[in-house]
Amino acid sequence: MRKTLWDYVYTAILVLIYVFLMSPILLVVLMSFSGGEFLALPMEGVSLRWFETLFANSRFYDAAAHSFRLALVSALVNGVIGTLAAIYVAHFASPRLANPLRVLMVGPLLVPEILTAIALLFFFFEIGIGNQYSVAIQVGHIVVTFPYVFLNVASALFNFDRSQEEAARSLGAGRWLTFRRITLPAIKPGLITGCLFAFVISFDIFNISLLLKSVGNNTLPLELFDYLRFNFDPTAAAVATVSIFITFVAVLIVDRTVGLRSLRF
Amino acid sequence: MTGAPSPAIASRGGAQRPVWWLILPALVLLVCFLVLPYVSIVVMSFREASTRAVYGDGFTLEHYTTVIADPFIWGIVWRTLRTGLIVTVVTLLLGYPVAYHLARTRSRWASVLYIFVISPLLVGLVVRTFAWLIILSNGGVANNALKWAGLIDRPIQLLNTPLGVTIGLIHVFLPFVILPLLGNLQAINPEVAMAGRSLGASRLQTFLRVTLPLSMPGIQAGSILVFVLSISAYVTPAMLGGSQGRTMAVLVVQYLVDSFRWPAGAALAIFMAAITLSVIAVYLRLTARAMRRLP
Repeated sequence: MRKTLWDYVYTAILVLIYVFLMSPILLVVLMSFSGGEFLALPMEGVSLRWFETLFANSRFYDAAAHSFRLALVSALVNGVIGTLAAIYVAHFASPRLANPLRVLMVGPLLVPEILTAIALLFFFFEIGIGNQYSVAIQVGHIVVTFPYVFLNVASALFNFDRSQEEAARSLGAGRWLTFRRITLPAIKPGLITGCLFAFVISFDIFNISLLLKSVGNNTLPLELFDYLRFNFDPTAAAVATVSIFITFVAVLIVDRTVGLRSLRF
Repeated sequence: MTGAPSPAIASRGGAQRPVWWLILPALVLLVCFLVLPYVSIVVMSFREASTRAVYGDGFTLEHYTTVIADPFIWGIVWRTLRTGLIVTVVTLLLGYPVAYHLARTRSRWASVLYIFVISPLLVGLVVRTFAWLIILSNGGVANNALKWAGLIDRPIQLLNTPLGVTIGLIHVFLPFVILPLLGNLQAINPEVAMAGRSLGASRLQTFLRVTLPLSMPGIQAGSILVFVLSISAYVTPAMLGGSQGRTMAVLVVQYLVDSFRWPAGAALAIFMAAITLSVIAVYLRLTARAMRRLP
């Protein structure tokens, strides 16, 4: 088709929207390499000094380690129970039961995270656990990231031809062997994507952590938030850059192993 | 395979061990730590405040009547809803062209563009909002650019205003409107639009009469998602809003964390949820009417 004026206008609009989408993130990364004291453009030279400040700061290091632990446990726990639940809902639940179950399973995505955080806060105090240990925050992270594993595994199962399982069973393979050799390889892309997203989302979530954290145990987003209350310097940008870097490594793994398009929200 | 199961499979199905234990861990997790907490928050909102425990024993409607009678709270409710509405409309206007292009393009850059849409979602909210702190502050990038362009002499106040919050929220939630729209537009057969063109309709007519109505489900899903997310957002209004841009979620957290008024905070949270649900209900009715003519 011949290009009209409208095509050029449309392309220009698209470029502007993509710039709007990406430039703030690139700006943060750029600022972390600033040589000056201020978060402003134009930058006064380039340096790595803010990363030195950052790595000398044990608060950020502890917070990052805490976030990493929470995210890892969330991904692993959900990897198991999310997969089991998805197999049940996709293959075994009666049609009448499957729909309500599906709604419950994605429930944490349907309700506002801040409300869930408030409800869990009250609940943990009511049952007497409170926020003295990391139990509350860990459970909160698992609940909120559960749907990512469930949805991704369920959508992998949706495209999976069950007659392969039946063939394996009829050839004498047991349940476990059938699962390991037939079902698991088929759902692997969904499982990897789901777990990595559970990890990334858990690493980033704020509201749950704000209300459920145990005293003195900040996660990385909380530590950054607190830091920004009293400071406004490129150290914060360096923290942000490190956390962006961790996220992008995870996304790269997904893209290289199973492809980003398989992602389900 | 044909519809009816073969006799061999059907007979083996009868001998299968029950498999409900597969769902059990997930069910326990979500019932104990999602359903029950939501029930308990409702219960708490009817309890009397107490200085010794989380809440007292008596039953009271006092927290709700206080919330409903307070003009200060209504002011914040209106501001939150207005912000949510503006954010929803603007993200829809910005997100639609992007989703439309991504759904149709055969460019080899498509997957790069897709990563551009996804990646902001995966960068934490605090980080993305921090970026807007850098851009919107008085000595920040936006003001410096405007000054450099000669449009202003003195910095204009963007931070700690409702405008700043709105801009931040639009950026933060834009991908959430693009993704549902993209899924919806990809499912529309391009030949339908081509048929419209071949019957003599102009591009604009084809878009308005064919593509746009067919993408209504995507518009509906994306806009509800963004509306709910933006009126319950905490991080962005807390970081960019100051006291001028305070929203409902910020107020609730202040009740809970700063002043420990838990039953009152619970009532406020439920009030917020009820308002959200009623707005969505109205919206669903309106859009259902628009979608009734769809195949």
